[in-house]
Amino acid sequence: MISTSGEGLSLPRVTCPNHPEACLVEDYRAGDMICPECGLVVGDRVIDVGSEWRTFSNEKALKDPSRVGDAQNPLLNGGDLTTMISKGTGAASFDEFGNSKYQNRRTMSSSDRAMLNAFKEISTMADRINLPRNIVDRTNNLFKQVYEQKSLKGRANDAIASACLYIACRQEGVPRTFKEICAVSRISKKEIGRCFKLILKALETSVDLITTGDFMSRFCSNLGLPKQVQMAATYIARKAVEMDLVPGRSPISVAAAAIYMASQASAEKKTQKEIGDIAGVADVTIRQSYRLIYPRAAELFPPDFKFDTPVEKLPQL
Amino acid sequence: MDSNNDEALDIIVTNVVATFRTRCHLNLRTIALNGINVIYKPEFGKVLMKLRKPKITASIWSSGKIICTGATSEEESKLGARRLARCLQKLGFKVNFSAYKVVNVLAVCSMPFAIRLIDFTKNNRPIASYEPELHPAATYRIKTLKATIQVFSTGSITVTGPNVQNVATAVEQVYPLLYECQKPLCKK
Repeated sequence: MISTSGEGLSLPRVTCPNHPEACLVEDYRAGDMICPECGLVVGDRVIDVGSEWRTFSNEKALKDPSRVGDAQNPLLNGGDLTTMISKGTGAASFDEFGNSKYQNRRTMSSSDRAMLNAFKEISTMADRINLPRNIVDRTNNLFKQVYEQKSLKGRANDAIASACLYIACRQEGVPRTFKEICAVSRISKKEIGRCFKLILKALETSVDLITTGDFMSRFCSNLGLPKQVQMAATYIARKAVEMDLVPGRSPISVAAAAIYMASQASAEKKTQKEIGDIAGVADVTIRQSYRLIYPRAAELFPPDFKFDTPVEKLPQL
Repeated sequence: MDSNNDEALDIIVTNVVATFRTRCHLNLRTIALNGINVIYKPEFGKVLMKLRKPKITASIWSSGKIICTGATSEEESKLGARRLARCLQKLGFKVNFSAYKVVNVLAVCSMPFAIRLIDFTKNNRPIASYEPELHPAATYRIKTLKATIQVFSTGSITVTGPNVQNVATAVEQVYPLLYECQKPLCKK
């Protein structure tokens, strides 16, 4: 059924006569405010903020009959209820030279324009790497919080947006590497990293540490490796970190080396360069991490792994 | 308890940064032309003067403010700063050595054990931060001492703080936390 009652208002002004403390629940379809305790309909004929018409995507047959415009986005925009003057239709709206008489239809909500721009940018970036809607929403929320705080006001909005995107992915449990975010943004990794640290400080949150397993499914499917190899690589990377064979190495590099080892032991062999391209690590880095895990290779493989190339014949770089 | 127990930890101060003022306007071109061991950087508006004796590099601005870096102890830094002021005096400026202040001290220290950074970060959640993608060390900031400690997995740490005393206190404070997260010696 519903969402919670209005953003920004702590309690609606009407209350249930029997339960004055109860927070009323809004049923926007019926236009009612209902008390959750006893079910009494307290307010009725509440204004429906949904869309008036449902428009399906046929070619714009007639003019769009919706008179209320887009659905309100109250969480993010500070509820702009502005009136815009649209382009005139009759003959009277044009002056002598053919220019429209009333030109000013641009200033929408100047204070939020930067924020709207940033949301658009976030949406574009997320679209490039196919991020789901919940991450985009979380990013928008983070950006709004940071923007309102104004502590990072001097930084480029795009940098803050990219850093918010990174944080949102982390918070949702599907971290993206900085390099992946860099690939869809115009901001350098250094700047995104700086903004990331500043935002964490400004919002006083912290994020979980990345693990090797977070990236396995993405890297392996991009390389086209079968599930067996992916599971083996996950196991190898986890064991390598547990046995602490790779101190001080970034989890991405360890994951890449594990994928290399697993793929070389299976039928689908991938070169270091291919893995390096997908993971965003240099192939010398993969080589270094591989050298560290190679001596204990036999213990790192999962017990039920089918070897196409036995452990002894694994390449030694 | 007494954190530096049996074996005393060697805290080696590698860099001391100090600022002072000459209270007079300096003509950078004169310094650049007549001084020895100077590099003029017009795009930044400063002159770098390197001294040999206490190995010091100083950035000199025309307003008379000078930043002196590269010294290995506080006394050496003071000595170098004074020598620098004397150098400028010999070049003809009416130098008045004032407002000498040590701004930053960098020290390195090596723990006799390796450290598990992930555990260290988890135990000290908001104060410690570790981003393996950005930097291989975990940073631990002590607000009260205004000191920052970078912890590497090999056991070396670098500490930066406003003076040598703070740095020593910071090492003492962080030692027990590091001791908890050490890697057991018998590995492999």
